[in-house]
Amino acid sequence: MLLNKTFRSSTLKIAFIYVIVFSGAIFGVLGYVYWSTVSYVNQILDRDIKTETETLRETFSAAGRDALISLIDQRSTDKFLGDWVYLLTDASRRYVAGNLKSWPAASQVDRDRIEFTPADWNRKTAAPPLLRATHQLLPNGYHLLVGRRAHDLARFRDKMMVGLLWVAGLFLALAAAAGISTSRRSVARIETINATSRKIIETGLRGRIPVRGTGDEWDGLAKNLNSMLDRIEELVETNRQVSDNIAHDLRTPLTRVRGRLERTFNRQLDVGQYRVLIGDVTADLDEILRTFSSLLRITQIEARDRMSGFRNLDLTGIAREVAELFDPTAEENGVTLQLSSCDRAIVIGDRDLLFDAISNLVDNAIKHGGRNGRITVAVTHDSGEAVLSVADGGPGIPIDEREHVLRRFYRLEGSRNSPGSGLGLSLVAAVANLHGAHIAMADNSPGLRIELRFPLPERVAAGIP
Amino acid sequence: MLATQGWELDAMARSARHVLVIEDDAETAEQLVDALQTSGYRVDLAVDGEDGLHRGLTGDYVVMTVDRMLPRIDGIKVIRRLREKRIMTPALILSALGEVDDRVRGLRAGGDDYLVKPFASREMLARVDALARRNVTAIKDTMLQIGDLQIDLLARVARRQGREIELLPREFQLLEYLARNVGQVVSRAMLLQHVWDLHFDPTTNVIDVYVGRVRRKIDSGQPYPLIHTIRGVGFCLRAPE
Repeated sequence: MLLNKTFRSSTLKIAFIYVIVFSGAIFGVLGYVYWSTVSYVNQILDRDIKTETETLRETFSAAGRDALISLIDQRSTDKFLGDWVYLLTDASRRYVAGNLKSWPAASQVDRDRIEFTPADWNRKTAAPPLLRATHQLLPNGYHLLVGRRAHDLARFRDKMMVGLLWVAGLFLALAAAAGISTSRRSVARIETINATSRKIIETGLRGRIPVRGTGDEWDGLAKNLNSMLDRIEELVETNRQVSDNIAHDLRTPLTRVRGRLERTFNRQLDVGQYRVLIGDVTADLDEILRTFSSLLRITQIEARDRMSGFRNLDLTGIAREVAELFDPTAEENGVTLQLSSCDRAIVIGDRDLLFDAISNLVDNAIKHGGRNGRITVAVTHDSGEAVLSVADGGPGIPIDEREHVLRRFYRLEGSRNSPGSGLGLSLVAAVANLHGAHIAMADNSPGLRIELRFPLPERVAAGIP
Repeated sequence: MLATQGWELDAMARSARHVLVIEDDAETAEQLVDALQTSGYRVDLAVDGEDGLHRGLTGDYVVMTVDRMLPRIDGIKVIRRLREKRIMTPALILSALGEVDDRVRGLRAGGDDYLVKPFASREMLARVDALARRNVTAIKDTMLQIGDLQIDLLARVARRQGREIELLPREFQLLEYLARNVGQVVSRAMLLQHVWDLHFDPTTNVIDVYVGRVRRKIDSGQPYPLIHTIRGVGFCLRAPE
């Protein structure tokens, strides 16, 4: 299974492509070395032969035919010159002197250089060697052939070829082994990821990809995929809760509406009673529609592009307007609403959304902040950042609940039956998030202090999160 | 109660006034036409942008309601083309929540209004009434008189029976808006839009309580009340017959 995958893996294919490319390069390099060595050796050989031919030609011109014949005889028997061949013939190519008995059937290398294998090699060597020679025309029609065994060169050529093949074979084997082992490694890691994915598809979002702790790119990938899975699981969980809550929060009014309609259907009523009933049912449906609209609005805020339609706003001004709008409501609930703020606090944002968010905070404070309390809406500067806070003197929110209250429909124990949709703080969270503002909840002892800390306008403008 | 005494009286004033409804969705169109006709308007229905543009150019309407998304020509484009031809019939744009963008909001500057679907017929009617009224009242009044309430728009002062009433700037704006729509029902969302320049539906009764305070300042200790709450819709400033 794993081996099968290894052979089909893309890593292995890439490894083989590398092997082919590198083999080409190595053959090229070795081929060049071979070619240049052979031509260098030939050059030296040719030079030696040329010098020897010159010596013989000069002897002939200076001392005559007999001197040359005796020199050739002497050279032919010299054991230190065993590699050399000599042949002197007359104009009709008849033997005169030398250790070669007849003019050979040679192949022409260039104008005065030839190569041949002698038919009657009389020296003690195993195979008749390849000879390289020059053909020199002397005065009075004499032909002189001086040659030397190129035997060593051929051996070198063969050795070189064998070496080359060995190197290539070894290289191919090594490359294939490295390729397979690398592929196996990556295939194994990918197989782990695949197995986890299959498990998730089959059984749910519980599984995670094991991290080996080597800190390599596979671990990086595993970590990223794992945090993506964490995030997805979180979203799914939130979604599930939202659906549960929608079901719960909407079922109650819908059941009420249904009950009313059913009862009315079974009874005889006069027009006035029908009208009252229709009015009540419409009010119930309006409430349901409002919940839906709030949900939709939060979703839209969450989906909105940051900065679209944002402008410079004075947070203090908005806080003042909210405080003024809620002043009668606070008074009616016996709560003192107090505004304490600096002159101006510029934030970049959407006035509607900020107004709505602050309204929700103040509304919550009035609803849950306890009767006869005091609510303080404050706008302050803290190291240049604008901070809006709403503080009440109510029961507050227990520390371990603080994170949850920002979720949709989440309501504290005991407040399920008080008015409110459970969406207010979710909207605040969505608006804060859109503005890059940080939400913090603190103990006002007694009571709750919610704080929205806005980023510096110049940081927002520069797109720094 | 869906209708009050005041609504039936208003129906007289609405009669013989023509409204153009440009709406492609049959259900919504029926709801609109029905509500407007019941309230005494005469209604023409156009089912796409092209038809709507044609009727808008040729007919004489006090108000038109325009769906944001229309076949052939987009709702915003219909209004813009009409304005290019100097046809200033106020428009109420009906749009889904997701379609409310800056272009829709921007139309308010031209004396138009918008409403987010789904809407209550009463809310729609209140807005059509407000737009129809704006078409006939001169905006340049400097003094408004409703019963014994006198509103001086230049000095920003309100008096009842000659006695000055102390109002915060925002409270004065609210009273002015109610007075400009005297006899008409004004919804909570309309107040939030026109007095606070906010474009969302208030989920609490904060507007009711705020209006309650203004009402106390205007009406307490007076021979008759001027600010009335219209149940399920909003408020109405009106002097007795």
